[in-house]
Amino acid sequence: MIAEAGHYALVLALGLALIQATVPFIGARLRDQGLMNVARSTAMAQMLFAMIAFGALVTLHVTSDFSVANVYENSHSLKPLIYKITGVWGNHEGSMLLWVLILAVFGGLVATFGGNLPTSLRAHVLAVQAWVAASFYLFILITSNPFIRIANPPIEGRDLNPVLQDIGLAVHPPLLYLGYVGFSISFSFAIAALVEGRIDAAWARWVRPWTLMAWIFLTLGIAMGSYWAYYELGWGGWWFWDPVENASLMPWLAGTALLHSALVMEKRDALKVWTLLLAILTFSLSLLGTFLVRSGVLTSVHAFATDPRRGVFILLILCFFIGGSLALFAWRASALKQGGLFAPISREGALVLNNLLLTTACATVLVGTLYPLILEVLTGDKISVGAPFFNVTFAPLFLPLLFAVPFGPLLAWKRGDLLGAAQRLIAAGIAGLVVMAVVLAWTHGGAMFAPLAIGLGVFVIAGALTDLAERTALFRVAVPTALRRAQGMPRSAWGSIFAHAGLGITLIGIVCETTWSSEHIAVMKPGDVAQISGYSATLDDVGQRQGPNYREMIARFTVTNGSDLVGIMTPSKRSFTTRGSSTTEAALLARGASQLYISLGEPNGDGSIVVRIYHKPLVLLIWYGALAMAFGGLLSLSDRRLRVGAPKPARAPRSLQPAE
Amino acid sequence: MTRKQRRLTMIGGAIAVLAVAAALVLNALRDSIVFFSTPTMATEKHIAPGRRFRLGGMVRPGSVVRGDRLAVTFDVTDGNATLPVAYQGMLPDLFREGQGVVTEGAIDQSGVFRADTVLAKHDETYMPKEVADALKKEGHWKDDYGAKESGARESGASESVARSVAAQGAGR
Amino acid sequence: MSLWFVFAVMTAAAVFAVIWPLGRRTAPGQGGAETVVYKDQLAEIDRDRDAGLIQPAEAAAARVEIGRRLIAAAEAETATPSVTRRGVRRAVAVVALIGLPLLALSIYWNLGSPQLPDFPLASRALSPAASASLDALVAQVEAHLEKNPSDARGWQVLAPVLMKLGRYDDAVRAVRNVITYGGDTADRRADLGEAMAAAAGGVVTKEAKDEFERAVALDAGEVKARYFLGLAAEQDGRKADAAAAWRAMLATAPADAPWRPLVEASLARVGGPPIAAVPDTDAAAVEAMPDGDRSAMIQRMVERLAGRLKQDGRDVAGWLRLVRAYMVLGDADKSRAAVADARRAVGDDQGLLRQLNDGLKELGIVE
Repeated sequence: MIAEAGHYALVLALGLALIQATVPFIGARLRDQGLMNVARSTAMAQMLFAMIAFGALVTLHVTSDFSVANVYENSHSLKPLIYKITGVWGNHEGSMLLWVLILAVFGGLVATFGGNLPTSLRAHVLAVQAWVAASFYLFILITSNPFIRIANPPIEGRDLNPVLQDIGLAVHPPLLYLGYVGFSISFSFAIAALVEGRIDAAWARWVRPWTLMAWIFLTLGIAMGSYWAYYELGWGGWWFWDPVENASLMPWLAGTALLHSALVMEKRDALKVWTLLLAILTFSLSLLGTFLVRSGVLTSVHAFATDPRRGVFILLILCFFIGGSLALFAWRASALKQGGLFAPISREGALVLNNLLLTTACATVLVGTLYPLILEVLTGDKISVGAPFFNVTFAPLFLPLLFAVPFGPLLAWKRGDLLGAAQRLIAAGIAGLVVMAVVLAWTHGGAMFAPLAIGLGVFVIAGALTDLAERTALFRVAVPTALRRAQGMPRSAWGSIFAHAGLGITLIGIVCETTWSSEHIAVMKPGDVAQISGYSATLDDVGQRQGPNYREMIARFTVTNGSDLVGIMTPSKRSFTTRGSSTTEAALLARGASQLYISLGEPNGDGSIVVRIYHKPLVLLIWYGALAMAFGGLLSLSDRRLRVGAPKPARAPRSLQPAE
Repeated sequence: MTRKQRRLTMIGGAIAVLAVAAALVLNALRDSIVFFSTPTMATEKHIAPGRRFRLGGMVRPGSVVRGDRLAVTFDVTDGNATLPVAYQGMLPDLFREGQGVVTEGAIDQSGVFRADTVLAKHDETYMPKEVADALKKEGHWKDDYGAKESGARESGASESVARSVAAQGAGR
Repeated sequence: MSLWFVFAVMTAAAVFAVIWPLGRRTAPGQGGAETVVYKDQLAEIDRDRDAGLIQPAEAAAARVEIGRRLIAAAEAETATPSVTRRGVRRAVAVVALIGLPLLALSIYWNLGSPQLPDFPLASRALSPAASASLDALVAQVEAHLEKNPSDARGWQVLAPVLMKLGRYDDAVRAVRNVITYGGDTADRRADLGEAMAAAAGGVVTKEAKDEFERAVALDAGEVKARYFLGLAAEQDGRKADAAAAWRAMLATAPADAPWRPLVEASLARVGGPPIAAVPDTDAAAVEAMPDGDRSAMIQRMVERLAGRLKQDGRDVAGWLRLVRAYMVLGDADKSRAAVADARRAVGDDQGLLRQLNDGLKELGIVE
C-alpha cells in the first residue's frame, strides 16, 4: 500500500502541476485574484504530494520492500540504515524523484513566503515553476518510475554497490540538486518578468535570496564532490575537469554572475535585460548538467544511467525550456524599459567586468565540455579535452577577475574613483607583493607562476580586509567606534567580505597543492621507511581483516617528523569478493591545512606492496575557501533586508492564507 | 562622457574580452586536445613519434611484464593490431589483463608507446566509451556494458548460449 | 479497500487545493507590492547614513532616485484593479472536480499495481518460505557466500544456476571463485570460458578463448572447450580450422556421445561434410536403438514433422528443423524442396520471412 500510495501521490502531483501551470496564467490575464491564488494553494499541495511520494520511497527502502523493483535493484536487507536511506537517491529513479521533490519544495516555499510579492508576479512565477515540474513528473512516470512493482517479490535485493556506500557520495548529489533546482526559481522569475513585460529594482530584490540560496548549495555541493573524489579515488586529485564536474561548475559560474548583476539591478535599476538573460542561462546550464549526467551521453565516472530513451526525453525537456525561454527572451526583451546610467569606472562597471569575465570563463568551459561530443557527432573523431585545455583557457580569464575582485567593493556606485580605490588598496597590494617575494626567495628558482598566484591570493584576501577596514573606518576613528560601525554593518556586506576572502583562500590552496605537492611511490616491505617532505613513514605491518561484507588488506604506517611521532596512518584496500570489486581507502593525516595522504596499490607476491604517499601542502585551504564562500552567502542571506524579500509592511500579523 | 561613448566603451571591452577568450580557446583546441586512437588506427595513420595521443584497447593477456621501480610494459590490442606500451608508476586498481584500458602518451623512436598516464576506472562496469566503441567495431567486445546490444548479435554458440542470449534479449 | 480510501482522501485534498481559493472573495491590494520594497530601501539608506556607512550627500542622491521609483510604482499599482470572473472560476472548479481525478486515475491505472500487497522485510521474516522463488534461493546462497567467500562448493552450485538465470557476469565471477577456492580443473576452465562467452552475447572473446585453451592444456579431451575453440575459429572467419577442430572431435567421439548432434550441426554450418547421420531430435534415445529401428524412427519423425508443417505452415522453427534434418541426413534435394515449401507457407508475412531467412543463413544456406 505504501508503494501504491506513493505512486498515486506522484500522479496527483503531476495533475496539480498541470493545473498550476495553466490556471494562474489565465487568472493573471483576466486579473482575477482568485484564479491567481490557485497557484499558491496548488504549489503547496504539490509540495505535499511530492513529499508523500518521496517519503513512501524512503520508507520502502528502509523496510526493504523488494516487491518494488527500484528497491530490489538498489538495496539489500543487510545494508546499514544510513545507506538504505541514502541509497534512495543513489540510483537514477530515486535521484530524479529527489530532483523533483526539491523543485516542488522550492515552489512551496515561494508560495509560503511569497506573501510580499505582487499577486500576479507570484502567480506567473509559480506557473512557470509548474511547467518545469510537470515535465519532470512526466519524465519520471514514463521513463524512470521508481514505483514499478514485481509480482513475485524476491527475498533479497541485488545491489550492495560498495562505491556508493560512502557518506560523501551520499551528501554530494542532494547538495548539487538543491543548487541546480534552486536556480529554477530565478528562471521562473525571469520568465514571469518577460511575460508581464515589466521588470524593476524590486524584482531583483525578490529574486536575490533564492539565487543566493541556490548558489550556497551549489558551492557546497561542488566542494563536497571534489573532496569526495580526493579521498575516495585514491590518487589524490581533487578536480579532473571531468564533464560531470564541468556540468556543475558552469551553473556556478553563471550563478555567481547572476548574483552580482542582480545586485546592480537592485541598487541601480540597470543591467535589467542582461540579468534576465543570465537567470535563463544559469538554469539552462543546470538543466544541461542534469542532462549530461542523467542521459549517459558522457561515459564518465558519474554516469550510471545508460538508457537512451531517457536521454532523448531529457533532451526534449532541455530543448523546450532552453529554446522556449530564449525565444521568449528574444521576443519580449526589447519591450522592457531600459535601466539607469553609469560610468565605466564605477561599482556597476566593476560588476559588469565581473559578469563579462565569469560568463566568458563559463563559455570556455562549455566549449571544452561539448566540443568532443559535437566533434564526434560531426566527424566521428574522438578527442579528449582535459586539464591542459582548461589550464590555458579558464585560468587566463579567471586570474584577471581575481585581480579585479578587491577593486569592485571599493568603487562608488555610478561614478567611481579608480585611483582612490587603488590608493586604498596599496596596503593589500604590498601584502601581496611581500608574500610573493618571500615565496619566491624561499622556493628559489622554482616556477614563477606559483609565487605570482599566491601573491594574488593574498591580495584578494587583504583586499577583502581592506573593504572591511574602509567600511568601519578602522585606523581613522577610534577602535570602539570602528567596532560599533562593524556591528552596524549590514550582514550582506560581511557576506561579500567572507566570500571574496574565500576566493583568495581557495586560490592559495589550489596553487600550493598543484605546485608543491610531492609524491612518493615505492614498493615497500614491512620495516621499510619512506621519506617525504621531511616526514618519514615506516610501514609497520600489513594485515588482513574481514569486514562485514569484504576482506580488507590494511597497512599500518608510523609517521614521524624527526624524532616526534606525528601519527599512525592505516590505509587499506577492500575487496568485495562476491561483487568482484575493490575500493581503495586512503589514509589522510592533516597537519594544519596540509595533509599526508597514503594509498595502497597492488600487493606483490613477496609480501611487499606498492604504496603511494603524497604530501599535499595547504590542500585543505581549497575546501576551507569554499566553506568561507558558502558562509559568506549564508550571512548575506540572513541579512534582514534580504530575508526572502522585503520585510512585511506594518500590518496585523497574518496566517498563511490571504487575509480578508 | 556621453551616453554613446559609455556604451561604446562597454561594448569595446566586451568584444576585447571575448576576442581574447576566443583566441585562447582556438589556440588550446589546436594544442591541448588529445586524439583518441586504437592500435589499428595508430598503425594505419602512422602517427609521428612524439605526438601525444590517447591509446585505447585491451591489455593483451600474458603481456604484462613488471620491472624494477614500478616500471611495467604491456601490449594494447584491438584484435587487429597491437602496440607495446611502457609505463612507470602505479597502475590503477582495475588494471587487468584482458580488460579495457586507456593510456596517454606518445610513440617513441623505437615504436614503443611511452605512456605517462594510465587511466583509472571507476568500477568494474566502467569501460571508457572510446574503448567500448572501438572494440565493438572490431568484434572483440567483452563487458557487461554491451549487454543491451548483445542480445541482438548473431551467435553461433552452443545451444545453452543461444538460449541464454534469447533470454537476455527478452529479460533485460 | 483501505488503499482506495487513501487514494480518495488524497484526491479530495488535491481537488480542495484547487477549489479553495476560487470560493473566496478577493480583497483588493492583496499580496506584496513594489512600493514596500522601495520604502524599505529608503529606510535602509537612512540607517546606513546614521551608521556613517555612506556620506550624507550620497544618501540624499540615492533617496531622490529611489523616491522616483517609488512614485512610479505607486501609480502603477493603483492603476490595476482586480476583478472576479465567476464563469472562468466555475470552469476551473469543474476541471478540478472531474478532470483531476479522472486524469490521475487514468494515468495510475496504466502504471500502478494496486492489487499487489506490501512486502517489507519485517513481514517476510514471519513467513520465510512464503514465496521461495529461484531468485530468492539464489539470493540466499549469495548472501551465504558473501560471508563465506571461500566456500567452493557453494560457488559450484551457484554458477550453473546463475547461467540459467542469465546473470552471466555473476556466473563468470562464481566460476572464477570455484577455481580460486576449489582448484583448477579442465572442466572448470571450460565452464569459465562458456560463461564469458555467454556474457559477451555468445561471442567467444579473446579472454574466453584463453580459458578454453587452458582447459585443453589441462585435459586434451575436454569436450566443451574443444567445441568452443572450433566456434572461436568460426567466429574469426577461419571456417576450415573450425571444421577441422570439430571433425577431429567427432572422429574420436564415442557413437553415443550426447553432444554429437550439436557438433555435427555446427560442422554442417561451416560447410564440412557430416560424418554420421543423426538428427537433432532427442538424440540420446535414438542413439540407444538398434540400427534398423533407428533410421526407421528418424524417417518417421521427419515425416511427422513434414506432415505437421503442411497443416500449419507458419511454424518457422519447425521448418528450420526440417531443413536441417534433411541436410544432416544428406538429402540435399529434399532440403532444398523444404526451403521452397517453407517460403510458400510463410507467404508474405514479413516478420516470419525475416525469421526464416535469418535461420537459413545460420544453417549456411545463402541464396
